[in-house]
Amino acid sequence: MKRWDLIVIGAGLAGLTAARTAVDMGAQVLVVGRGMGSLALFGNTIDVLGRIKPAEDMEAGVAGWIAAHPEHPYARTGWPGISEALDAFRDLFPPPYTFDAVGGGNSLVPTGAGTLRPTYLLPVTMAAGAGISAADTLIVGLKGFKDFQGDTVSLHLQCRGVNLSLPRYGLEGLTALGLARLMDEVPFRESLGEAIRRQMAGEQRIGLPAVLGLTAPAEVLRTLEAVTRAKVFEIPMLPPSIPGTRMFHRFRQHLIARGATFLLGNPVTGADVKEGRCEEVILQNPPLLNHHRADRYILATGRFLGGGLQAGMEKISEPLFHLPVHQPDRRGKWFGERFFQTEAHPIHCAGIVTDADLRPIDAGGKAVLKNVWVAGSILAHHQMIDEHSHQGIDIATGYLAARRALAS
Amino acid sequence: MMHAADTPTLPKNLPDLCVRCATCMAVCPVSRVTPLFPGPKQAGPGAQRFRSASQVSVDDWIELCTACRLCDTVCPAGVPISELNLMAKAKYRDERGGTLRDWLLVRSDRFGELFSRFSAIVNPLMKQRAVRWLLDKALGIDRRRELPAFDSPTFRRWFRNRPVAADAASRPTIAYFYGCFTNTNDVDVGKAAVVCLEAHGYTVSVPHQRCCGIPRLGVGDLRGAREMGLRNLSLLLPKVREGTDIVFSSTSCGMMLRHEYGPLLDLPGAEELATHLFDICAFLLRLQEEKQAPLSYRRLEAKAAYFTPCHLRSLNEGLPALELLRLVPGLDVRLIEAECCGLGGLYGFKKEKYAITAEVGKDLAKEVARMKPDVILTDCEGCRMQIRHLTGMRVLHPLQLLRDALPPADTPADIGAVPNRSPA
Repeated sequence: MKRWDLIVIGAGLAGLTAARTAVDMGAQVLVVGRGMGSLALFGNTIDVLGRIKPAEDMEAGVAGWIAAHPEHPYARTGWPGISEALDAFRDLFPPPYTFDAVGGGNSLVPTGAGTLRPTYLLPVTMAAGAGISAADTLIVGLKGFKDFQGDTVSLHLQCRGVNLSLPRYGLEGLTALGLARLMDEVPFRESLGEAIRRQMAGEQRIGLPAVLGLTAPAEVLRTLEAVTRAKVFEIPMLPPSIPGTRMFHRFRQHLIARGATFLLGNPVTGADVKEGRCEEVILQNPPLLNHHRADRYILATGRFLGGGLQAGMEKISEPLFHLPVHQPDRRGKWFGERFFQTEAHPIHCAGIVTDADLRPIDAGGKAVLKNVWVAGSILAHHQMIDEHSHQGIDIATGYLAARRALAS
Repeated sequence: MMHAADTPTLPKNLPDLCVRCATCMAVCPVSRVTPLFPGPKQAGPGAQRFRSASQVSVDDWIELCTACRLCDTVCPAGVPISELNLMAKAKYRDERGGTLRDWLLVRSDRFGELFSRFSAIVNPLMKQRAVRWLLDKALGIDRRRELPAFDSPTFRRWFRNRPVAADAASRPTIAYFYGCFTNTNDVDVGKAAVVCLEAHGYTVSVPHQRCCGIPRLGVGDLRGAREMGLRNLSLLLPKVREGTDIVFSSTSCGMMLRHEYGPLLDLPGAEELATHLFDICAFLLRLQEEKQAPLSYRRLEAKAAYFTPCHLRSLNEGLPALELLRLVPGLDVRLIEAECCGLGGLYGFKKEKYAITAEVGKDLAKEVARMKPDVILTDCEGCRMQIRHLTGMRVLHPLQLLRDALPPADTPADIGAVPNRSPA
């Protein structure tokens, strides 16, 4: 049986980052995912730490955050680790479809709910959405496309909005993927650009749902900007996420080109652990149980949605390796008083505690598995939704876990 | 400690596993080209919550699911989406009865043997405009879709008539499930499979076999699919019990035999068969990886594009053909970045579905036009037909190219080179 250098369990951003880091170091890598992770759901921009104000310096902000939260996953990487991992991520997206920090730090970008949210790296198709002002922005919705309500967005952002229809193309009932495919066609995006231009009343920026093409988004952007003579930006919306799907495709393309193997669609349901080492993992591919062996394993199975953590009636557990899970001491303490309270619910801090190398440890601080590293949102002591740190944690810890694993 | 045993098997047919996340909507090839199909989230678990065994089906768009199963491969919750669609299709068919078109199309294995014998008459006839017009009008078999030409003799007959190697008995035996299409329409794939297996020191046997049943499954004929499954199990299990493993060269046949006979159709002995059944490229790759002295392929200067069939994704073995092809020096092989060819097996021959299959295929055709390969390679006969149809290019099974790259000493003299088969 083939013995891999590394098996990455989980095909979300953390697992993909770990796998990509490892293949670039020359390792033989197998990626196994129960599904395709959550990139196609809410992968849009790269949040690192939204708590840092847009004008503030990221390095100082993260250092301050780590000082106040010494158990946070970022304490394992520090700003240098985050920055190095983000640079590697950005290298995967060469021009014209790049990811950049607008103005060097966090920026506020509009969402599909018409709110503004802080984020760090933006794809080039979203850059013009950073720091929009009501007066110079036109929000364009498409009649018949349910996943983006342009009226709601423009109402909340207090700017002008229009809902367009392109009778020739029959957009009624189209999905995000359907629209993105149409955008990849030059005549369609030219007609859309023309239709937008006719609606413009001096606006300098145009916000559209995030469907600007699957294969060549930067070209879609260029056409629309040329026709409308304005800055155009995508607004993240309800799943499925087109920008996230682009990211997944890019990782997959890179990994397969470098010889990694992808197994998606079956869960890893078992691990054979002997004397503190994982010998093999078992993939349930009914009616078969497929065994896969590696020298090292990275666990990047996410939180409750991806199945990395499971909540029972009283306890939260990690179902694959049965790792110790840091959690509130009883169920009564999982949630705060009110659902929409300002403080985060304690359950969100639950997860796997690791040593400085991202190896899982027990309550006594002792490593429980010698050849398993943990990356991504399954880690304990972060509040990724509240902090706006999801992708930053995935990328920084995925990168570090792979480096540490291969150094062993 | 072994944790496998304490993990419960995934529950079947449970739409409530769905968390409505919509990841499946990011990969469905059909819902992205037509609003007529609501997509896997709605068609599968969404609609399933409203379906009742005692009520008449009201969702005839379920027929638009091609059963590519890509949705199953991305679901984070383990919902058997394509299976839900299949059960809905089957119920629909039970209520309305099968069509003459389906009856004919799913029997292409039986007709194939006959047509192969009379290929000199059948092949030109099938290209006649009048015949295609008639098939189109009377049966709804779209006239724009080329019908695959029949080879003569069949693969089986060719195999039976070839000389047995002197040392055949002393070599390990491997059984080959060639599938109907290889037998009557793509005999060269079967020849290439035999040559490649023999080059690795095996004696090949071809057990009696029937259609795997996936065409019947595709039209919602569960009973028919079960019947084919039972027949194949009775023909193949004796081989397995003799200690012979079986390889397949068609990823759709393989997916059906290995993953639908047991989990879906619940046929006795399916699991035993599944554990001895291998994708031929995965099998050859393993031989290359495990053998002390692997075959070193000859240099082949060519630019090849490899396409991943959807059912290879369901088999979930990675890309063994691509990995094998990478072992050929001089061969520049790249992956075609497209999700699905769009044919969907018999689906693509149906008049009312032709436009959908053509639109899905556009993404692949665009990618091929960008890559400009000399040859396109893919393990599935449906994909090969569709890619020829879309691009007019030379499309082969990876084994046909690998055969050309075998070291000379291992290539028996009576095998011709890869025929440059023009689009059918």
